[in-house]
Amino acid sequence: MEAGAIPKEGKLGQMRHFKRGTIGFIGASLAVLLAACGGSGSAGSTNTPSQQSNSAAASQAAGEGTSGSGTASGLKVGLVADVGGLHDHSFNQSADDGLMRAQKELGIQATAVQSQRPEDYVTNLSNLAQQGDQLVIAVGFNMTDAVQQVAPQFPKTHFLLIDSTVNLPNVTSALFKSEQAGYLVGALSGLLETKGGLPHLNGQNVVGVIGGQEIPPVDSYIAGFQQGFKQTDPSGKVLLRYVGNFTDTAAGEQLASLEISQGTDIVFQVAGPVGQGVFNAASQHNAYAIGVDSDESYLAPNVVLTSAIKRVDVAVFDTIKALQDNSLQSGVSTFELKNDGVGMAPPMKGIPQAIVDQVNQLKQQIVAGQITVSPEVQK
Amino acid sequence: MDLATIFLSPTLWAMTLSLGTPIALAALGGTFSERSGVVNIAMEGIMLTAAFFAVFFSSLTGNAWLGLLLAVACGLGMGLLMAWAAVHLRADQIVIGTAVNMIAAGLTAYLLHIFFGQGSPSNTPQLPVVTIPGLAQLPFVGDVIGHQNVMVYITIGLFILAHYVLFHTVFGLRLRSAGENPQATESAGLSVYRLRYLGVLIGAFLSALGGAYLSIGVLNSFTQNMTSGRGYIALAAMIFGKWTPWGAFGAAMLFGWASALGYMFQGTSVPYQLVLILPYVLTVVALVGLVGRSRPPAADGIPYVHAR
Repeated sequence: MEAGAIPKEGKLGQMRHFKRGTIGFIGASLAVLLAACGGSGSAGSTNTPSQQSNSAAASQAAGEGTSGSGTASGLKVGLVADVGGLHDHSFNQSADDGLMRAQKELGIQATAVQSQRPEDYVTNLSNLAQQGDQLVIAVGFNMTDAVQQVAPQFPKTHFLLIDSTVNLPNVTSALFKSEQAGYLVGALSGLLETKGGLPHLNGQNVVGVIGGQEIPPVDSYIAGFQQGFKQTDPSGKVLLRYVGNFTDTAAGEQLASLEISQGTDIVFQVAGPVGQGVFNAASQHNAYAIGVDSDESYLAPNVVLTSAIKRVDVAVFDTIKALQDNSLQSGVSTFELKNDGVGMAPPMKGIPQAIVDQVNQLKQQIVAGQITVSPEVQK
Repeated sequence: MDLATIFLSPTLWAMTLSLGTPIALAALGGTFSERSGVVNIAMEGIMLTAAFFAVFFSSLTGNAWLGLLLAVACGLGMGLLMAWAAVHLRADQIVIGTAVNMIAAGLTAYLLHIFFGQGSPSNTPQLPVVTIPGLAQLPFVGDVIGHQNVMVYITIGLFILAHYVLFHTVFGLRLRSAGENPQATESAGLSVYRLRYLGVLIGAFLSALGGAYLSIGVLNSFTQNMTSGRGYIALAAMIFGKWTPWGAFGAAMLFGWASALGYMFQGTSVPYQLVLILPYVLTVVALVGLVGRSRPPAADGIPYVHAR
């Protein structure tokens, strides 16, 4: 709230300024517009420095940047975020966290740009490769085609594609067995449905899932959730709906409310930033929700039971480290429960320990290979 | 779930209202602006800006109504900028609208990061859901309109008011004349500039309400690009509604209904991608088949130059 006091004055100042000299206001707006365009990569040379200083500032805020001393390594790494944005509390943010950690610990030079719309992927990836980044990270399944198109044009640049595979000598594909993480939170939901233990469970034995788009990285979570739930609650029912995108948070709220009105008391969201709408619906209707990609409990403390986690940050950091150690290989790197590449966030206080223990047992069984989880959704 | 159950479920119709409301508000905003002669494609940008500032001020002041008020003020600020560029500078109105939309997308994403790096606070106050005593007890109807967010009722009130103002008051007649034949307006001793400023500002006011409804009515949070094209759908609803308040309302509710239907259909055997395009398909069908030719105000989009 204290931080909020400053913006208020700033805003009022802007309004006053507007009355006196509209030109100044337009100028300021144009500057913002330019910055926004820069983010979408229309002009590589103008956008990168500002983005870079942004990243540097962020890392300093995170923990007194040691980046100054570290730049000795001189490795340049660029990251292209998907339309959800670098601060989506989810997937893109996790990738950016990995990049920031590498900047701090490995002393690389980091550039992060954001895509405003899918048409920006190719431009953004090319711009970063063109400015001499040795590694360019494409965050997300939706950039598969863009990487396929750009990577051959820059054979000396290495690309890391998250969540999808491109078979080229200069591309590393990071795949996550997120179905394993989905399995664990599904099993947790099933146990809560059958055994109870939390005040707002309604005993109707129905849980819900809200997906962003019907694409493999989303569906693998959902598939795992279905199987885990079935394992611990064979007679229960899973409702599944998709929003159709990763931006329409209000639609996420409406869909989750609909599922809650149909008896759901636990909603698993696999929809990135749209998940905030799901948390909103759950908190309004006294239901529970499960987060995705990173530990989202801070977004709705008494609503989020746990989160199915995908360590995109680990994938990004490890790849940068491998590049620095000259041990980076193309092909597929798999991140799963066994190497802590996926997992389940610490469960909410109040969930009976016996249930948590049971989920952990299942986790051990997956790690040991006694349970295999399929990434295919049951329709 | 079979078709009859879906159509007869009050949930479908309640969702129609709540999904149609933001589109209806923005479409009505566009109608006012274009009736005065200024083409307005900036509803998306104004909605997005208001959506952000509604959350911002709501969490800052701890009061959702103050948040709404200040968000509308920000929307009006953008409207003023637009009106100045369109009326005084006589800039191309499509370009102005595009610029506003782009500024809004960049600005809100930037401010979101600056002020709420961790996401907008989870304790942001929200506009209340109200239960209308009596009405809410009625079977079916009560479930549909008896228990909605307060903005839904405000919207219905605003539409009644808008229709009255636009078609049954002197001001409405003057506003429309500025959009149809500004020369005649000025020869009657009226200021076309002033009327067009008012048209754009009323438009910005209504679009801002629509944006604020999304972020502090339906939700209590802001996420990047959360208006998700509703401003453009509102543009279609405005044209579809033939630049009249009730037409815009009907078109917006049709969109809302189709989206709600899509949500309900999911989980049945119908593929969800098909269901999600329903609103757009319906519009095209309705536009081509039912409505007939839709004629904009004659001087819409043509900058006016003082006769003196």
